[in-house]
Amino acid sequence: MNPSKRDVLLALAALTTSAALPATAQTAAPDLSGGRAIGQAYLSANPTTDLVALRNDLLPNGFDANAAPRLRARAAADFRAARVFIFKGWRLSETEARLFALLT
Amino acid sequence: MAFIDARTLPEATEIEADLILIGGGLASISIAKQWAGAGKTVAILESGGRERDMEIQALYAGAGTMRAPGNPDRNIDSYLVQSRARWYGGSGNVWGGKCGPLDPADFVRRDWLDRTGWPVTRAQMNPYYDRACDLMQIPRFTRDWDNDPDAARPPLNINSDFFSSPRVFTALSGEVDSAKFDAFRNDFVEASDNIRVYLHANVTNIALRRGDRVQGLEVRCLNGRRHTARGRNYVLATGGIENVRLLLASGGIGNHSDLLGRCFQGHVTFGVYENAEGLNTMLCVSDGQNMSLYADSGRANVHCVIATSLDGQRRFGTGNFTTTIFNSSDPPRPEDAAVLALAGALDANGSGARRHPCFFMSEQFPHLESRLTLLPEHTDALGMPRLYLDWVYSERDLDNLERSIAALGDALGAQGKGRVRFPVPREQLLSILNMSRHHMGTTRMSTDAARGVVDENCRVHGIRNLYVAGCSVFPTSGIVNPTLTIIALAMRLSDHLKRDMGVRT
Repeated sequence: MNPSKRDVLLALAALTTSAALPATAQTAAPDLSGGRAIGQAYLSANPTTDLVALRNDLLPNGFDANAAPRLRARAAADFRAARVFIFKGWRLSETEARLFALLT
Repeated sequence: MAFIDARTLPEATEIEADLILIGGGLASISIAKQWAGAGKTVAILESGGRERDMEIQALYAGAGTMRAPGNPDRNIDSYLVQSRARWYGGSGNVWGGKCGPLDPADFVRRDWLDRTGWPVTRAQMNPYYDRACDLMQIPRFTRDWDNDPDAARPPLNINSDFFSSPRVFTALSGEVDSAKFDAFRNDFVEASDNIRVYLHANVTNIALRRGDRVQGLEVRCLNGRRHTARGRNYVLATGGIENVRLLLASGGIGNHSDLLGRCFQGHVTFGVYENAEGLNTMLCVSDGQNMSLYADSGRANVHCVIATSLDGQRRFGTGNFTTTIFNSSDPPRPEDAAVLALAGALDANGSGARRHPCFFMSEQFPHLESRLTLLPEHTDALGMPRLYLDWVYSERDLDNLERSIAALGDALGAQGKGRVRFPVPREQLLSILNMSRHHMGTTRMSTDAARGVVDENCRVHGIRNLYVAGCSVFPTSGIVNPTLTIIALAMRLSDHLKRDMGVRT
């Protein structure tokens, strides 16, 4: 099952707001502008990126129960191999940067 | 009459003592305290009085440039005056009181770095560090905070490439508690019958006899009085910059290897806080981690910085590197919030992340071209040539910083413990760094006269009775504030001099 863009947006919104924001903030619509800015920067640096292929690669089954552990392992592997993307000084794994690219 | 104003002495007074300490900062005071009641006379010759005096402080004026590849040169003329304190107590009058020992790795010969290795190990220094802690009235540095943790203040434990390096503050600082520091610097002198402090006594020349022994010192006062001083042994302890000035001005004593004044190393911090683009140097830490061991512990508690271990330095091909961490309650910007949110969700416990402003420090390596030289055509009110400081960072120094930050970021990310942000391009490093008042390496210590100015006992190679105290003898600079090491080395030197002069310890 390939996820739709809407699925991915919802998954990332869940991923990036559920744990980080106080409970009172979680009821409001998530502010994805920061993530989108990082994603745009990634796409500018990697203009041939195919977003559909990227989506299928990162979240082949949408945001299922295995998604977070798999992404966590991929991000860790990126850091071990120094596969990083620098955004305004933030040293991010390539997996993180590509996830942000899906927000665009 | 333990304190004597040299300006009031009759012209051409000959000051005599068994041990003469040139300069009245923490190094000299630490040594002199060991000699109270020792049955030998000790004279401290201090340029200043008991308080700051801008006319005396102006004797420090000189010129300087800081340079680094790819960066615009930075004028640091004012640094020569602002980073020093020329009155009794020296930099002890103005320092923040932060104490810590150099890391064990700092003493080791590191094959991947030039001119590293001390002629003394950390283990050999430990007894002196303990005594220095006692003198500074702080706890001794005996605890391994990673392997013997405090349950209420757990370590970050990233991996074996990084460790928690402790720091603690003493109240014995003129900046922190002037009354306490006054008692520290004055009471032992008042109470002893063998220690005299000569104020307003500027040593302007070290005269040698037969080239291998100090015959005496020329002493001048700003009111025109001239005196001399003679002793059996002499300790030059006027600070990492002024030590060089006096040795160079005295004909280049100790410059047998052309190393006198070279290998100047300083401590600087690399951090930005809400810069022009609103960016900060930052650590994002997984929310489950209690950071109280590192952040905002207050002056009463030990706090740690995250440091690169010897294994890590070897693996990364770097030198020492630390991250000093603070707390922040400011709301994050949207892009920071996104990073925190995703990292917090992905990291091991998936429970979010917090941001901590931080600054980084990386060891400056000893380079021959980073040096102090005299400006013979420019002299001060005493006729002493002024100094030029050419403070040079190499490509390797900048690599060390960037590679270390990357290694920390990768290790935090791989372990699911956080992320790192350093939003400063290489060509802006010189303009954003903050300089500490630590001046090291210019009379470097080595058992080999061809590789150093002083030997392992801090005696100037080839001069029988002249020693150097202070951080100018550090072969490498490490990162921690140097004062505790200065005091520990002063204790060690004091013991050596006592043995040499037949004083029972």
